[in-house]
Amino acid sequence: MNITDLKIAEEATITKVKAPEPIRGRLYAMGIAKGNRVRLLDHTLKKQTWEVDVEGTRVALRDEEAKAVEVEK
Amino acid sequence: MKKIKAVMVGQPNVGKSSIINAISNARLHVGNFAGVTVEKKEVEVRKGEYEIDIVDLPGIYSLHAYTPEEQVTKRYLLEESYDVIINVVDANVLQRNLVFTLQLLDMRKKTILVVNMVDEVEEKGGRIDGEKLSQLLGIPVILASAKHKKGVDEILDRVIEVYHQPKCGCKIYYNEKIEEEIENLAKILLKSPHFTDYDQARFYAIRLLEKDEDIYRIVHDLPIFLELHEALGEAIRRLQLEFDVEDVRDLFADERNALAKSIVMQVMQLPRQETLTDKIDKILIHPVFGLPIFLFFMWGLFQLTFEIGSLPVDYLDQTITNFANWLKDILPPGDFNSVITDGVIPAVGAVIMFLPNILILFLGINLLEQTGYMARAAFLLDGFLKKFGLQGKAFIPLVSGFGCTVPAYMAARTLKNPKDRLITMLILGFMNCSARLPVYVLLISAFFATHSAGNVLFAIYIGGAILGLFVAKVLRMVLFKGEPEPFVMEMPPYRFPSLKALAMELWIKSKLFIKKAGTFIAGAAMIIWFLSSYPHHPDLEARYIQKIEQTQDPKLKEQLQNELAAKKLELSYLGQFGKMIEPIFAPLGFDWRLSVATISGLAAKEVVVSTLATLYAVGEGNEHSSTLVQKLREYVDFKAAVALIVIIMIYSPCVAAMSTFYAEVPQWAWRTFYTIYPNVLAWLMAFSVYQVLAFLGF
Repeated sequence: MNITDLKIAEEATITKVKAPEPIRGRLYAMGIAKGNRVRLLDHTLKKQTWEVDVEGTRVALRDEEAKAVEVEK
Repeated sequence: MKKIKAVMVGQPNVGKSSIINAISNARLHVGNFAGVTVEKKEVEVRKGEYEIDIVDLPGIYSLHAYTPEEQVTKRYLLEESYDVIINVVDANVLQRNLVFTLQLLDMRKKTILVVNMVDEVEEKGGRIDGEKLSQLLGIPVILASAKHKKGVDEILDRVIEVYHQPKCGCKIYYNEKIEEEIENLAKILLKSPHFTDYDQARFYAIRLLEKDEDIYRIVHDLPIFLELHEALGEAIRRLQLEFDVEDVRDLFADERNALAKSIVMQVMQLPRQETLTDKIDKILIHPVFGLPIFLFFMWGLFQLTFEIGSLPVDYLDQTITNFANWLKDILPPGDFNSVITDGVIPAVGAVIMFLPNILILFLGINLLEQTGYMARAAFLLDGFLKKFGLQGKAFIPLVSGFGCTVPAYMAARTLKNPKDRLITMLILGFMNCSARLPVYVLLISAFFATHSAGNVLFAIYIGGAILGLFVAKVLRMVLFKGEPEPFVMEMPPYRFPSLKALAMELWIKSKLFIKKAGTFIAGAAMIIWFLSSYPHHPDLEARYIQKIEQTQDPKLKEQLQNELAAKKLELSYLGQFGKMIEPIFAPLGFDWRLSVATISGLAAKEVVVSTLATLYAVGEGNEHSSTLVQKLREYVDFKAAVALIVIIMIYSPCVAAMSTFYAEVPQWAWRTFYTIYPNVLAWLMAFSVYQVLAFLGF
């Protein structure tokens, strides 16, 4: 599963980031990296933009990027 | 006096600027980094027998620089010479920040770590063990809070202390297998005379394993390159096999993340409670209510800008007119009197009057930024902006554009994809900058009822934004095919804005504005005055003076005087120029005066107001139209006024903005396009509006 499969306020552990470079490096720099805990905070009405909390950092991402982050509950 | 040069680096939103502001007795210089238009802040401070110079580098998330601003910081770190690195981190998100710190420590430069916002962690029941952190990293650690001025002055003591150490005490090492490969590569690098220092060779080896193109370019020209290239390929293959990863970059990311995590676990007691940010976010970025709330904030800002900002306008206007009249009487009559009282004072005065409006608008935009709401707005609007071929982050330059187009062009650097950036920059001019505000305020007060003024202003701003989006869509469909850049953005926690920083920004803004009014605009006004007063026509004047002397009727006398002034203006250089360009603007209902004012707006938008003030200053002494507003009502019709508003909304921004665009965009084709299309569009739109209004019977 990936971030977009989580329900709001649900937590999971990141297992893999599949996005291509350089986005992958960007996601890492924001804390979206293997082993970190992620919690889904919110999404927009049409589920186009997602907000997550990773180890205390809030990050906004688009659907495409959110789908590229695999997680495990 | 010994000089120490330090650089301050850290991820965005860690409060570097507030630390700089909190250092006591420091002298701040604001400038630009060489060759680029990124703002460079530098402070000089004396401590004992040392003079410490601290350069504040733009925020950077990672040495894998992504945005042009990050590139500036990375270049500076790699290429410039400095003695000490001051790495600032945010205590609230220590783990993520430490990942970058670990990258910095690869450099093995003398480094100190400043953990800012410790107070926020403690308030939430968390704790950080600074001594332990210092032991683990091998560098001095300061627990600080810029807000409470805690630990800030200790930074200087530590900088001096570290400066005297022979080298960095960093203790961070990666997995044995990785270190082995690093050492092999470093040894090859050391064969080249380019490297004398093992630490530097080690750093380069790490960066090379991480496929850092900037470093690759440097070693590319070294004689050892062939050997290095081969060894690097093998090392990468071995590491990929050993750790079962597809990309060595992932390996380093994992290593640093794991290291940072274990460090945080050892030094920090995490606060665990729902923060205020969680609660506020539940409302402000609510899927349904988020957007209406955002629009309400924007509407409120423009209402405030107009309603409060216009309170002192009438008073200021009257004072300036009185002052000019008073000066006219005491100065000896002649050209000097005229240039001051008819040229400079009304022009500068007309612009200064709008300082309150501009300050309120700037305050609002600053507040949005400092509180963290700007990122929320980008989040809310991303889906919407994507439809127009833009992305959520483009919102930040777009909103800055309401303040001033120049920094907005620079803010567009946060967009990495060149196409996204260019589209955003091409439509930024449609976001009405604060310099245009005086023109709008003037025209609105002259031609619209007071109770609807705030709404008209809001409509102008929204109208500009909608037009911008529409143009973006067209550009994306016609000229820039392809998907917009991915959207990944940090949402900083909500913060109560620092009043000191806000006051500082406003003070700098007022100072710059008054300086601009006193120099640039006064100069432009003098030129306009000269062009509108020369050449003299002695026979014409003689004829009229004779006529005036002959009549007894005071009304006729006044009429003749006004006629003379108008004739003189018409025959002046400016009048001739206006007449020449009048045919272009005639379909919009402009007379030559409005045409000249429109052209003069290319110098700076405020100049439109000051030019109008000079050109309509004819027939002084008429009690009923002593102020500019009344004169405009007399000479300009409603349709032309609206057409002028439309022109101002769309046509090219000022020279300063245009040259910034040229500096940011090197391609001549785009520069040419940028210079022509807004003006054509402006004329067409103004013409349509004029015709529609005429059709409706205005």
